[in-house]
Amino acid sequence: MKIICLVKYVPNVEDIKYDYEENVLIRDNVKLILNPDDAAAVAYSLKAKEVNPDLSIEVLTMGPKSVRPFVEDLLRRNVNKATIISDPAFAGSDTYATSKILASYLKEKEYDCILTGSKSLDGDTAHVPAQLGELLSLNQMSNIISIDQDSFNEKSAIIEVESGDKTLTYRMSFPAILSFRKETGYELPYIKYENMSLDVSDKLNFISNEELQLDEDMIGLKGSLTRVANTYNKNFKEKNKIVVKNDDQGIDYVYSFLKKKGFV
Amino acid sequence: MKKSLVYIDPENVQNSIEILEVVAQIHQEEDFKSYGALINNSTSIQGLHQFDYIINIQNQNLKNYDPVAVTDVMEQLNKKYNFDSIIIPATHFGRMLAPRLAMRLHVGLVADVTKINHNGENLELVRPAFSGRIMAGIITEARKPIMLSVRQNVFAYDVQADKEAEVIDYQPENFKQGEIELLNIQENNISYDIRESEILVSGGGGTLKNFDQIKLLADKLNAEVSASRKIIDNGKADRNIQVGQSGKTVSPDLYIALGISGAIEHVAGLKNIDNIIAVNINKSAPICSLSDIVVEGDALEFVKKLSDKIDENEDQKN
Amino acid sequence: MSVIEKEQEVVENLVDLLSEEQVNTNNEDLYEASVDRYKKYAFARNALDVPQPVAIVYPNSSDEVSKLLQFCNEERINVIPRSGDTSTEGGLENWKDITVIIDAENLNRIVDIDTYNMQATVQAGVPLEELEDELREKGFTTGHSPQSKPVAKMGGLVATRSIGQLSTLYGGIEDMVIGLECVFPDGHISKIKNVPRRAGGPDIRHIAIGNEGTLCYITEVTVKIFKHYPENNKFYGYLTEDIETGIKVLREVMVNGYRPSVARAYSEEDAKQHFYHFSKDKCVLILMAEGPENIVEATGEAVEEAVDKFSDGIIEEVDSELIENWFNNLNWSQQDIEDEYEGMKENDSHAGFTTEISADWGTIPIIYNNVMERIKNEFPRAHELTLLGGHSSHSYINGTNLYFVYNYEINCAPEDELRVYHHPIHKIIVEETLKHGGSMCHHHGIGKYRSQWTKEEHGSAYYMLEKLKEVFDPNGIMNYGSIYPKEDGIKKYIKKEE
Repeated sequence: MKIICLVKYVPNVEDIKYDYEENVLIRDNVKLILNPDDAAAVAYSLKAKEVNPDLSIEVLTMGPKSVRPFVEDLLRRNVNKATIISDPAFAGSDTYATSKILASYLKEKEYDCILTGSKSLDGDTAHVPAQLGELLSLNQMSNIISIDQDSFNEKSAIIEVESGDKTLTYRMSFPAILSFRKETGYELPYIKYENMSLDVSDKLNFISNEELQLDEDMIGLKGSLTRVANTYNKNFKEKNKIVVKNDDQGIDYVYSFLKKKGFV
Repeated sequence: MKKSLVYIDPENVQNSIEILEVVAQIHQEEDFKSYGALINNSTSIQGLHQFDYIINIQNQNLKNYDPVAVTDVMEQLNKKYNFDSIIIPATHFGRMLAPRLAMRLHVGLVADVTKINHNGENLELVRPAFSGRIMAGIITEARKPIMLSVRQNVFAYDVQADKEAEVIDYQPENFKQGEIELLNIQENNISYDIRESEILVSGGGGTLKNFDQIKLLADKLNAEVSASRKIIDNGKADRNIQVGQSGKTVSPDLYIALGISGAIEHVAGLKNIDNIIAVNINKSAPICSLSDIVVEGDALEFVKKLSDKIDENEDQKN
Repeated sequence: MSVIEKEQEVVENLVDLLSEEQVNTNNEDLYEASVDRYKKYAFARNALDVPQPVAIVYPNSSDEVSKLLQFCNEERINVIPRSGDTSTEGGLENWKDITVIIDAENLNRIVDIDTYNMQATVQAGVPLEELEDELREKGFTTGHSPQSKPVAKMGGLVATRSIGQLSTLYGGIEDMVIGLECVFPDGHISKIKNVPRRAGGPDIRHIAIGNEGTLCYITEVTVKIFKHYPENNKFYGYLTEDIETGIKVLREVMVNGYRPSVARAYSEEDAKQHFYHFSKDKCVLILMAEGPENIVEATGEAVEEAVDKFSDGIIEEVDSELIENWFNNLNWSQQDIEDEYEGMKENDSHAGFTTEISADWGTIPIIYNNVMERIKNEFPRAHELTLLGGHSSHSYINGTNLYFVYNYEINCAPEDELRVYHHPIHKIIVEETLKHGGSMCHHHGIGKYRSQWTKEEHGSAYYMLEKLKEVFDPNGIMNYGSIYPKEDGIKKYIKKEE
């Protein structure tokens, strides 16, 4: 059985600073982290591989070459193969263009299912898994919180999905795209001490547009159908806080605030 | 005449009605008609008279939880009516349907829209990004239809009196089935998801003595209850409602922090919140620097007092 | 005799020496006693790699301590003296199969508070907070306020040369101790008398102060007390462009002859984790003036003048109420420690690892910059660091200390965490510090995890340190592996070469 794990390395949102004068995000020195939802997908795959050692896992990611040490760490955790799609020509791609780039790699591949996250911390659109589903003619399901291990095979799987106040159980036939949520409780295993610096370069594959041969109108800014025109910051710090006492006057103040804002 | 299609989420019809406000804001003074696509849920029709047209689709083979099949049907509708805009509520299902359909129609998609700006010629759709750190104004390539998903509970629609929707029965042609089968539906223990809440009354260490009491205030405000880690660790509440780094990230319109000091781990779970009221015996506690109002005093006492105050005013009205 | 038989025999002997109730062999307690906060992550994860001690014993008097030490000395049993259990550098970690922990819990009496002569005498197991609370009621203070205050005990504080957050005014514990009583491995009890000062040969207090349980067991201490004027406290906070500006202001205040009680300069990364609510991603400088009103006035003016002098690097002043609030919530509680363990379990990350060093004013910025540079370039897991920064928190006329603070995500097994993450960083900090003539151990002690560098730390003066061990602990029973480097222990438990 073969699984492809589609992951994204995202800037740790906590590190992002805002330049209030220039109205831009400062992304220098921002740490990359494995998108938490995607980490859950890899963690599940590795867990499934423990039960079924014949399972083969390929991690696929798209991003700058600097994600390499992070990807290597996944290979040191028993992932079989990793592919980094990286090309300056892909920079600026929106989710539409990104999905097309990823699909052009995936359509040549054989797999039973693609496991990924539901959404990314940075963009938070949740577009790519569904759009890949469309491009590859696969069904796709988001917000998966668990997969029934016994049911997981080449044909199908029984999955639990969280949808607001309900938990839904589905059977999905493969091939399909399954998108996890980080709240699954699946955790990446440790890297063994002796593997901490293991050379895994033979399992790591870089793909650029030289291999994919996508038309330049399809990729990067040119291939994108959406673009960010403005950013608006929501600045907590500019608040004019009022301090009141927990007495009649204070309660009156809170009440009229709630009233003014339409909360009561 | 502009035409706008709204996908009606069968699980939450009200949300889809609110999207009519989005339709109005997008098309503004232009003459437009709103269409609502309703799949296998004809019992809801009478609640949907605010639309101009309801496209009523009844088909036993069409599962309204299968995005592959629903995408096919939506594409057929678009072919038939040639919509100027297609708007989908950003629910669990809507967030799977919208990207698929946008790709099918070769148009750009803006997800989770919370605001609509018209900048001259350009329609700018505003959405939160970077976990709510900033709002991004997105412009899409001028293709038809404009597609967006809309964050729930953000837009409010002024209901028009005497409005009657025309119901159009529609039978889809062949559609692909996504080979998916719904086996079970289970209501969750906590019947709400704090990530979706509009108002959260949240308790911390200062409410440890009687955490359950904060529900009193939550009920008065039609709000939901959440908690800091201290409450969870002490076994006073379910982990489902924990806010913070090891819990959930929440973005309500109003967050009332009762006896929460605001350690950075907690604040990490507060994103994009417009109004914060902090009640704390220490008016310099870190949370207070994020707050609009700081009430200096005991949190549980505050709960009692504000609840009484709300009651008082309700009584006067009646 | 097998190890188990030997253990049983030791326990029986200990019970004979003391009593049943004074010998604790509860397995959970022994597990806890096998390490200190240095291995807090592995502890929380149940992945300890060191042996458990045989027993924890609680002597009721100096005479009982004497009997215990004599017994262990004759039987060549390793002893770890303990009181408070808040050490962070492995000082309380056990590296021997047969080890007895002597805990000062029952030596818990405040012997005397003498407000006329401004001194207080307490037994080793008195919690600092208990003494401080007693003193506060009378309008006095110890002036000693380490972060561990709610948990730490007096004997442990003296044995490790502890320092508090107000040290820039009151000094470290070595400046506070007037006299003490301690017991040596051969059972001899020495009492150093309490006098204001004397020229009676070398100051032998310093053989006991900071010995980390490697030479003797401290049973009682007498410390200075100070008048407490909390109503006069003044707080100052500033955002600065860089940590160097903060350090320059600290130096200016010190060399002009003023003594603020709190004097801290933070890098922006470190500032953010303590002061997210006002630091605005900038560096933070904090000062506090305390004492009699006119001294506070004068100190406050001196702070403002110094800040003025370096105003180019000062971004803005912070509301002093925010600083006051920080000050009032400084110390850990037992609950905080438990929360910390929970957090480490939940998130696979280690928050708040620190290594503290000191050097003169001229050298400190060089060490800071070199360390930052080297960690970023040389540390193979640098991509997993979630925080790297530091602060200065104790200043002197000729220099200051520097706390390096680093957090990281852990992607290896809990038992490997230290050698994968902490040790390589620790090594860089110690190497850079020693290379530039600073001290690698400002106030956490050498413990076991810096013993590899004790000889370099002391250079030719190591001779004096070594002779003390030979004379007072000829059988080497006192806290094996602490301060004095032990090759086999280092190999087994630090380098893990076995």
